[in-house]
Amino acid sequence: MAELRVENLNFSRGEFNLQLDRLTIKPGEKVVILGENGSGKSTLLQLLCGVLHGMGEIFYDKKPLQKIPVSERARIFSLLPQFSEVIFPFSVEEVVLFGRFPHTDGNRFSDEDKKISEQQLVQLDLLHLRERQFNQLSGGEKRRVMLARVLNQESPIIFLDEPNSSLDIRHTLEIFELINRREETVISPVHDINLAERFFDRFLLLKQGQLLADVSREQLTPELLTETYNVVVTSGAPAFTFQHQ
Amino acid sequence: MKKLLFTIFLLALAASCLIGSTAINPLNASPVERDILLGLRLPRVLFSAVIGAMLGLSGSIYQLTLKNPLADSFTTGAASSSALGAVLAIALGLPLPLVPVIALTTGLVGLLSVYRLSKTNGIINPVTMILAGVVINVVASAVISFAKYFFEDSLSSIVFWLMGGFFVVDWGKLLFCALVLLVTYILFIGKALQLNLLAFDEHSAQSLGINVDRLRTVSFIVATALVAVAVSNTGIIGFVGLIVPHISRSLFGSDMRQNLFFSTLLGALLLVLADAAARSIIPGGAELPVGIITALLGGLFFLYLLRTRRERFWHG
Repeated sequence: MAELRVENLNFSRGEFNLQLDRLTIKPGEKVVILGENGSGKSTLLQLLCGVLHGMGEIFYDKKPLQKIPVSERARIFSLLPQFSEVIFPFSVEEVVLFGRFPHTDGNRFSDEDKKISEQQLVQLDLLHLRERQFNQLSGGEKRRVMLARVLNQESPIIFLDEPNSSLDIRHTLEIFELINRREETVISPVHDINLAERFFDRFLLLKQGQLLADVSREQLTPELLTETYNVVVTSGAPAFTFQHQ
Repeated sequence: MKKLLFTIFLLALAASCLIGSTAINPLNASPVERDILLGLRLPRVLFSAVIGAMLGLSGSIYQLTLKNPLADSFTTGAASSSALGAVLAIALGLPLPLVPVIALTTGLVGLLSVYRLSKTNGIINPVTMILAGVVINVVASAVISFAKYFFEDSLSSIVFWLMGGFFVVDWGKLLFCALVLLVTYILFIGKALQLNLLAFDEHSAQSLGINVDRLRTVSFIVATALVAVAVSNTGIIGFVGLIVPHISRSLFGSDMRQNLFFSTLLGALLLVLADAAARSIIPGGAELPVGIITALLGGLFFLYLLRTRRERFWHG
């Protein structure tokens, strides 16, 4: 595990511009990206893991990202996109196993790969769905399968774009607890501020493509959130609280 | 299952050699019948198997790389744009070895045009792709019609060739096509596990370590080379590549390590059977171009797909 460093990152698409002068993410940090729709959360995530290219430099372990071959990058970063699909009827088991691809010789999965995949199925409560076709699952089940596929990559840095979208509250809790427990670095845009505050350590607040603040949990104030989202945010007990039975 | 299907395929090959305008009993064949069997029917049946395998394999690749279950050499416009090149090469009297090269060039131009037209914001829309394929087919048909009109001397050979068939087969042609098939099959099967990842959205595939653009481009070019070689040797034989990948997926799953093999084998089996039917269907020894039979089968299959899976297709 090593740190991820960003210098003078700049990306433009139409009238949208994303600018990030300097950012260092240390190994094991749980970083959440907050911001309103269109503020650049997903774009930043895609730039950081190298599936989108902008100006500036991104370094992993002091090595520029462009110098790391795509196949090697897949052993460093894994990505759960906001919208993820699979065309053709693949089984849940197959989709999860494909997460082991970066660890194969390119031709076949080893017994070890299959064993690790099985553990992911158990961990994400998917064992009973293993033979079902991925395309026939509900939205929440698909999300969990894709998350299992991503965790199966066993990469030191995990990028999760709104991991809890389509998930019910029980599975949301389970997944955020799982993410929080893991040793890997996790970087994730999340919409629910309360969940973000509960399960992440570091908060990147984005507004119109600019980094408004980079703060710890203690520094995350209602004023900062008010400025980020253009709504009045106050602190206090939420209407409902939830935890495992 | 592989063994069973392979046995069925070998039986179909054998049966197809024996039937035709006159049935031949291999245990009691006259010298003339033996000549027909070994000199005419055997190369023809093997040739139909090789061409069917090429079309099945290319269909499997097109459907995956274009993320479109309706894609094949015909619906993508690859076959008709390859045919356009081949027709022009024939009409202009270019040397025969140049025909597949010209066919490949125009085939690639046609397919890349369809690809460009159907891609919006990095996503291939299946409906737009089919419409773009229609555009290419219409344009290619117009130029082919012009060639038929302008190069009157070559008219009959162009028309006959366009209907698709195995009328003139020699061992040289057969060996060339078999070699092309073998090389491309080995190339694809070596990439089968990577190809599976193209079934994911682009960012997921990329994050799994795949150079999506490169793999897709190489697959396009090689699959179109298969179509161009097939088309320049036999004319347009449509829909084999549409039908067999579907059957393979429903029987043996979507994993490309299986789908490539079964699409190739079932493509060969389908065309051997279609050609046997083309040779025997008309009483009195006349034969149909096999393209007519595959177009009929393909049309019915297309109809079945549209009726049963309409919602999914039209909403991408």
